[in-house]
Amino acid sequence: MKKQTIRPYLTAFRIRALLETQYRGAALGGVITQAFFGLVLAYLYTALYAGGDPAGLRDTVTYVWLQQMFFRVLMTSDSELQNQIMTGSLAYTLCRPVDQHAYWVCRDLAAQWVGALMRMVPMIALQFILPLEVRMALPESPAAFLQFLLSLSLGVACVAQIHTVTSAITMKTLDSRGFSGMISLLMMILAGNIIPLTLFPETVQALLRYQPFAQALDAPIRMYQHAQGTAEFSISLAAQLAWLAVLTAGGRALWRQHLRSITVQGG
Amino acid sequence: MAFLEAERLSKTYVRRLKPTSGGPSRLWRRDTQRIFALQDVSFSVEKGELVGILGPNGAGKSTVVKLLTGILTPTEGVCHVDGRIPWQERREHVRHLGVVFGQRTQLWWDVPILDSFELLRDVYNLEPAAWKRRLDEMTDALDLGGFLRTPLRQLSLGQRMRAELCGSLLHEPALLFLDEPTIGLDAVSKLKLRSFLREENAARGTTILLTTHDMEDMLALCRRVLVLGHGRLLYDGALDALLRRYDTVHVLRCAYEGPCDLSGLPQGVALERDGDSYVLSFAPAEVETGKVLSWVLACGRLREMTLKEQNVDQLIARMYQEMSL
Repeated sequence: MKKQTIRPYLTAFRIRALLETQYRGAALGGVITQAFFGLVLAYLYTALYAGGDPAGLRDTVTYVWLQQMFFRVLMTSDSELQNQIMTGSLAYTLCRPVDQHAYWVCRDLAAQWVGALMRMVPMIALQFILPLEVRMALPESPAAFLQFLLSLSLGVACVAQIHTVTSAITMKTLDSRGFSGMISLLMMILAGNIIPLTLFPETVQALLRYQPFAQALDAPIRMYQHAQGTAEFSISLAAQLAWLAVLTAGGRALWRQHLRSITVQGG
Repeated sequence: MAFLEAERLSKTYVRRLKPTSGGPSRLWRRDTQRIFALQDVSFSVEKGELVGILGPNGAGKSTVVKLLTGILTPTEGVCHVDGRIPWQERREHVRHLGVVFGQRTQLWWDVPILDSFELLRDVYNLEPAAWKRRLDEMTDALDLGGFLRTPLRQLSLGQRMRAELCGSLLHEPALLFLDEPTIGLDAVSKLKLRSFLREENAARGTTILLTTHDMEDMLALCRRVLVLGHGRLLYDGALDALLRRYDTVHVLRCAYEGPCDLSGLPQGVALERDGDSYVLSFAPAEVETGKVLSWVLACGRLREMTLKEQNVDQLIARMYQEMSL
């Protein structure tokens, strides 16, 4: 038996990343939409905060912009994989000598990162021409920025694992819309996409911070805004790692089970 | 043990149906129905054989292919490919397996096909030098040189199928499954594909299993066929013997110069007049073709004559009918 290498997974990542760069039109569309929503929300919060706490406003506006920049990350499913399951093209991938779950996660990560970067760069550029009051703040400190990057990587990885769970469900139902729709609703609210999680009442903060959807973007954004002490930082990372482990184990188990009973569509 | 051995393969699906009668419980109650996609199918294939799988839609052809590729697990029975059970040692099994599903694509839609081939190189962990050699060889044989750097979506169907085939053979599989590889191709592309497959089979001893509805493909490539119907294996043997069995009517058309004497028609031959020519039909199994021919020649000055074999598609249709498929 040939020894297993990570070569297939790296190449899958590389080619999926390359593919994502082809979708410049989609990225541009995303940038325009997200810039629009970012502006509307930023002005909305400016009005809401009028006469109030200026530090709070700055944080909220920054939160909104970071959410919009990484909007691409908050998708509930890997559309490429969903399509393959629904059309039956997955049959081909199933005929490859690779770990199916790992292979798809690599592709998904590539799509997410490159997609997000392509949208992020123009959105950062945009900040320079915005009026001061709706402009996002810089990270609090270099330490805060490093914490943010580390946490963001874990966040994106968590989302990729959520995708594998959605896909595993699709393998059974053969239609992604129902389950994706449900997850999508949860994700919108619980990831802080509609109202920043930091704006929820103090009493539910503890609950909100440690639920799975907060690991995607909320956790990294909090670090961006305020560098955290060693203890707090460790707790936050531990929460992300724990959810990553749970989602990965769950996703893999579902894949193992569902791939065995999968019905590949059509002749 | 043969290279590929299937023993009593069966696959049953449970289909859940909405009941058509009953009270409001219809909303959540579901009847179950067992679908026998494959029942008790056994056959074996030797290394280097080129075998066709025939059968109408829904006969179980794809199920056989999916079981042999390890995508599906059978309800009962077992099969071995090169000593391995596909669904148990899936990864090792598929390493030596190539597949072409004519209706799907394995290459990436939006990137140049060369990039897809690079991905396949790494997925199969091929030596870059060996991969390059193989790719060059196939680029020549399949005439891919002109569009290696073109994204798949910009290729014509014929180009795409050739690229797909190349993708399936880069890792030099011992076993190749072709599921309707020539669907939608023009005559030239079909001929090219067929000759390439014959060469691949002859030069490397690649075992090939082909499912297709295109009888010309079958005739050109396979000497042996398996016929499936309603999930059962109905025939396993030579293709020409099968065709002979269903080739029950020969039609001979002849026209004469001047007068002719049509008396003494051999027994079992039906005669019809069609314009200024005559149409004779007879069953080759009952009436000797030579006897009919000498009678035709004796009748007068023969101007022209054609002996029409039946269209293969008609034969297959008759076969399906007789097997009540």
